[in-house]
Amino acid sequence: MSPLALGVLVAVVTIVILMSGTPVAFSLGIVAVGFLLIFDGMGALDVIPQIFYGGIDSFALLSIPMFIVMGSAIASSRAGSDLYEALDRWLYKVPGGLLVSNISACAIFAALSGSSPATCAAIGKMGIPEMRKRGYPAGLATGSIAAGGTLGILIPPSVTMIVYGIATETSIGRLFLAGLLPGLMLTALFTCWGLFVAWRGGYRFSDVSAHFTLKQRFEILPKVLPFLIIIAGILWVLYGGVATPSEAAGVGAVFCILVVAVIYRMWRPFAFWKIFKESMRESVMIMMIIAAAALFSYMMSSLFITQSLAIWIGELEVNRWVLMFCINIFLLVAGFFLPPVAVILMTAPTLVPIIEAAGFDPIWFAVVLTINMEIGLITPPVGLNLYVINGIAPDVRLPTILWGALPFMFCMVLGIIILCLVPEIALWLPRTMMQ
Amino acid sequence: ADIKLKASHQWPGGKGDVRDEMVQIIKREVEKAGVGVTLQVYPGKSLFKPKQQWDAMVKGQLDVSAFPLDYASGKHPQFSSTLMPGLVKNHDHAKRLNDSDFMADIKKIIDDAGVVVISDAWLAGGFASKKECILDPEDARGQVLRAAGPAFEQMLVAAGASINAMPSSEIYTGLQTGVLDGANTSSGSFVSYRIYEQVSCLTEPGANALWFMYEPILMSKKTWNKLDDKQKDAFMAAGQVAEDYFFDAAKGLDQKLVDAYKGAGVEVVGMSAEQHAKWVAIAKESSYKNFAEKVPGGKELIEKALAVE
Amino acid sequence: MNIFIEAVRRLSVACGVASVLLLIASVVVVCHLVIVRYGLGASAIWQHEFVTFSLIGATFLGGPYVLLTKGHVNVDLLPIYLGHRGRVALALLSSVLSLIFCVIIAWRGLLWWEEAWVGNWHGETVWAPPLWIPYIAMPLGMGLLSLQYVADMLSLITGRDMPFGLKPEERQS
Ligand code: NA
Ligand code: NA
Repeated sequence: MSPLALGVLVAVVTIVILMSGTPVAFSLGIVAVGFLLIFDGMGALDVIPQIFYGGIDSFALLSIPMFIVMGSAIASSRAGSDLYEALDRWLYKVPGGLLVSNISACAIFAALSGSSPATCAAIGKMGIPEMRKRGYPAGLATGSIAAGGTLGILIPPSVTMIVYGIATETSIGRLFLAGLLPGLMLTALFTCWGLFVAWRGGYRFSDVSAHFTLKQRFEILPKVLPFLIIIAGILWVLYGGVATPSEAAGVGAVFCILVVAVIYRMWRPFAFWKIFKESMRESVMIMMIIAAAALFSYMMSSLFITQSLAIWIGELEVNRWVLMFCINIFLLVAGFFLPPVAVILMTAPTLVPIIEAAGFDPIWFAVVLTINMEIGLITPPVGLNLYVINGIAPDVRLPTILWGALPFMFCMVLGIIILCLVPEIALWLPRTMMQ
Repeated sequence: ADIKLKASHQWPGGKGDVRDEMVQIIKREVEKAGVGVTLQVYPGKSLFKPKQQWDAMVKGQLDVSAFPLDYASGKHPQFSSTLMPGLVKNHDHAKRLNDSDFMADIKKIIDDAGVVVISDAWLAGGFASKKECILDPEDARGQVLRAAGPAFEQMLVAAGASINAMPSSEIYTGLQTGVLDGANTSSGSFVSYRIYEQVSCLTEPGANALWFMYEPILMSKKTWNKLDDKQKDAFMAAGQVAEDYFFDAAKGLDQKLVDAYKGAGVEVVGMSAEQHAKWVAIAKESSYKNFAEKVPGGKELIEKALAVE
Repeated sequence: MNIFIEAVRRLSVACGVASVLLLIASVVVVCHLVIVRYGLGASAIWQHEFVTFSLIGATFLGGPYVLLTKGHVNVDLLPIYLGHRGRVALALLSSVLSLIFCVIIAWRGLLWWEEAWVGNWHGETVWAPPLWIPYIAMPLGMGLLSLQYVADMLSLITGRDMPFGLKPEERQS
């Protein structure tokens, strides 16, 4: 069987097994083991455990659980609500101000958390009920938070950027910087759409009774300040070159825990235990996928599928933008079914040499890839943010959320198009700050 | 049908890296010999992670590899003598070492573990610093250095330096951000990671190098035993061609290093025999001593290596 | 049977606790690393490897607990559209697939651990820790994960548990 035909077979079998409801990690694992045993012989058993283990045997991966701890420490406190309330006190008079507050709060929280579900949960817990109370339709309330939450993996720090950096040997620091302006651009696009809907739907001063004095507006600021300081601190540690991402993440995690403990008087050991338990669950899930993806990509490489695919695409000689368009469609579809980390690990090592040969910048591509993954986070069947929204607002049905989130997905597609036209949005910051 | 073998290494493929070239030469020569063997090369760790290659060869899941032997020193501690400071002084010395008792012992351990040596290769390296030139041991005192491997770390610590362990790919950022004052790595890495942009002085390998690393082309014994005599001969002949190519290429690599650094306005210096001897004296009290104490037969290995003129 | 299911559950919870402790340890040690390296300007010798090992340990030991609490993400598109019997059949099928994988890793991982133990393998650093310690986490965690899968299948067959954690009447579109 030719490697390309074998590749098609692998794809079909993987999709079938994924569809059976088998966890993503074990689906990848069993497909890899099955194909290795059939096409490489029983001897492959001798290296399978080494490769599975080797997938997570890396100091750089430590930044993933650390950034998750950081986010969940803050999410466990009232910080999300405070952040959100502070923004609301300043923005409540703006038409659709509540929506703007929510999206901005998501963007700020995204700078403290490496994962999107955490961002979604932290802001949504307060934001969704509040918006619905003030008369925003359920779809808009849940959809905007679902979409705003996805900023968690675009605005640094970002778990998926770390995985991309390790998989393709790209500087994680540069990747983080590259995500910042596009993240702000998406925030702006989301905000514009939100304002437009609010203006059209007349959710202007739905809470006319509320009034915040200047004093009230200022007295809440100190509560938000520590988080802005942590963000600034992490940026400084990462780009002032004080430490590697793993080290910065570890220190950031401890700072976040301390800030939560001091400001919110969370001294009970149980509260800390819960932070770590939740972080453990999320990082084990991700790390298992990373380990299994190592087996999967070993299988793909050993059977020469990866290489044949790259050669085949290289020989197609299509226009580079047609190629980029096809890659985006492919990533979008992959994102429907797989969590971001799995998509990146399975595709980036093959795609990056191809897009580099076509003259695209791998750092710019990381941003495009991430925005595709953001869309995948709010589409069924595997949309991690949808699970979170379902937990916060169980009474809102899935189609309502999807309908509400759809315009925001268009904003992300628009974001990708803008990035294609003006790649500098992603590349300017890493270029100027890290030569 | 032809026997299809897999060859793997960690360096970029098709971009002129000497170790990739060696593997490609072996592929060309063996396939040209027409003995029914084809070689599939997996460059740039596209199959195994660098350190996994040894295990994979022992188990017969990887056939050929360009492999820095020290990577397997966790399993065979004797191998750290192939990345020991001061044992190899220059490329001609390395060539003489290949036929010594020392290398006979090392190759016996390789063979017993289930791996066969196809070509010998020793890569040179040096020091670079942005603080001051590293010539005498005193120069290293107070500098924060990145060293390649524990034996070098022990020697540098004994000389009064402090160590920041990191992969060679991180040296550039380490220097840029001030986490490092200097580094010790191979000539190839010094050039490919453009470290000349960050340092003010390079200690080139020259005639009295401290840093040499054994990076042979290896083959799994399980694979070897499956080959017939003609195929074995073809591999050994191909290995010799690769080795001869390498000997000239490695010297060229050092020249390229010097040119790149001079071109970038970096001061380039080389150790004198006396300075080299001072370092070896420190190594005797630190890395050699440690090696002799902890590794079975370690003392004899060092003695045999030092005996090579 | 109840005893078996309960025993496996407790083991998984115990491993989950160990996993959380390892995670906490790695946070503490990475901070220690930063202080030693940047604060005191001294050499960091063992911290990198220790932290990497804790992370590996946390992942493998945490695996069974995450399965117990249905935290391994999956695609539940098909199960949602199926009736109860179809769901049970599909859940059993997917559990068998996962079980095969986990058993293979646990079994071969144990052999690999034994190699490291017998061969006295060490890390290639100045610290040179014995490798059987981190290697044991894989057979242990994946072995217990296999047991947890068996327990889950038993609960499923005997109706103690619903397939994919879905309620019979739960049929989202
Ligand atoms: Na983020
Ligand atoms: Na999705």
